[in-house]
Amino acid sequence: MAAPLELSCWGGGWGLPSVHSESLVVMAYAKFSGAPLKVNVIDKTWRGSRGDVPILTTEDNIVSQPAKILNFLRKQKYNADYELSAKQGADTLAYIALIEEKLLPAVLHTFWVESDNYFSVTKPWFASRIPFPLSLILPGRISKGALNRILLTRGEPPLYHLREVEAQIYRDAKECLNLLSNRLGTSQFFFGDTPSTLDAYVFGFLAPLYKVRFPKVQLQEHLKQLSNLCRFCDDILNSYFRLSLGAFSCMNRNQQQIDLGEVHSHDSTT
Amino acid sequence: MSLVAEAFVSQIAAAEPWPENATLYQQLKGEQILVSDNAASLAVQAFLQMCNLPIKVVCRANAEYMSPSGKVPFIHVGNQVVSELGPIVQFVKAKGHSLSDGLDEVQKAEMKAYMELVNNMLLTAELYLQWCDEATVGEVLEDVDQCCQALSQRLGTQPYFFNKQPTELDALVFGHLYTILTTQLTNDELSEKVKNYSNLLAFCRRIEQHYFEDRGKGSSSIKSS
Repeated sequence: MAAPLELSCWGGGWGLPSVHSESLVVMAYAKFSGAPLKVNVIDKTWRGSRGDVPILTTEDNIVSQPAKILNFLRKQKYNADYELSAKQGADTLAYIALIEEKLLPAVLHTFWVESDNYFSVTKPWFASRIPFPLSLILPGRISKGALNRILLTRGEPPLYHLREVEAQIYRDAKECLNLLSNRLGTSQFFFGDTPSTLDAYVFGFLAPLYKVRFPKVQLQEHLKQLSNLCRFCDDILNSYFRLSLGAFSCMNRNQQQIDLGEVHSHDSTT
Repeated sequence: MSLVAEAFVSQIAAAEPWPENATLYQQLKGEQILVSDNAASLAVQAFLQMCNLPIKVVCRANAEYMSPSGKVPFIHVGNQVVSELGPIVQFVKAKGHSLSDGLDEVQKAEMKAYMELVNNMLLTAELYLQWCDEATVGEVLEDVDQCCQALSQRLGTQPYFFNKQPTELDALVFGHLYTILTTQLTNDELSEKVKNYSNLLAFCRRIEQHYFEDRGKGSSSIKSS
């Protein structure tokens, strides 16, 4: 039996297993590939570094960053992409680049920079899961980090004013959402009938935007008009994350797999 | 560009046809021009050639300062100045020329995604080359290889990324790959990575021959070195 895989990540709310995109990407990928993850939701008692979350721990390894975690899982034979052609694999890389460059800045802004959203929703949510006195410092640090990242990639001349940068990043994000919607069309997943890495990334970035209740909602409103993307998120939530009491145990997951008649490529079984 | 400025530029752009004396400004070749800027300039030149729009290339030491955004290359068309591939593609479109009109929505999405991939990975590699951060050389080479593999897969045996007609994606890929292949660098590993993919080499050669050599243009920046 393989060594247990533990994932430490930010917790959920608003019907999501996690409100944090990167944590959600890994959780979704694990579901799609059949990787048996023990999920540890971070709360005040957690002693690790919060900046690196999500973090995968096994007996001998500690892996952080979604791309690296997914690579690690693939090497352990938990591969959600085994049915993809080489071209589809290439498309996956390209679309992930698109999401990270064009969608992520606006998502960061919506959560961490837009004042109404940050002060009334994001900050209280994260602060309540961080022990005092870090709870007073860390959210602010994450917020500044988000702003820096946005300005670094976008705040170049002639966009000198934050307001112009904001206009540009939201415009890019809306275009990116439109592109994703066009690409998905009426299919269930991005590459046919089974979900793969790209589906995990799209779900990870879209679901929090879709579900978290914010005061300032321009990007959310745009997303809600793209009904196939909303349907995509809801389908994954219903099929893979049916929340029950003490959710995410191996037993629950296997049950879901049997119900849905899924086949996974990994060699090891639990 | 801000939204208002962009709408304004588009309106003015649409008003006038492409002039004969359109000029592209870049830095001086050789010592001054950076690898990444060279790639950007080549991409724009390739794109304009593919659109059949005449352009004269002028090298200036102070090109960066002449540019409205501080970025090179920039083009001077009529009485307008536009910099960087993205805005230039929009500008050219406002004048009624486009390479990607024939693509359906899904193909357009793919094209934009692949352009981001190239910007993400190849541009980073070129920047690394210039500033030589020793610590990350392994990761950079791996990224370049992954990117080239993806591009090679996507291209397959087609002449261009969307089969028979080149688009701005072909221009961008050409700009970057050709630059990586032909720039003399202390470290050959980057160009070796690209050379592993024969269809990408053939692609570069094809564009070079068709859009630069055959035209007999005076653009002396394109020489097979």
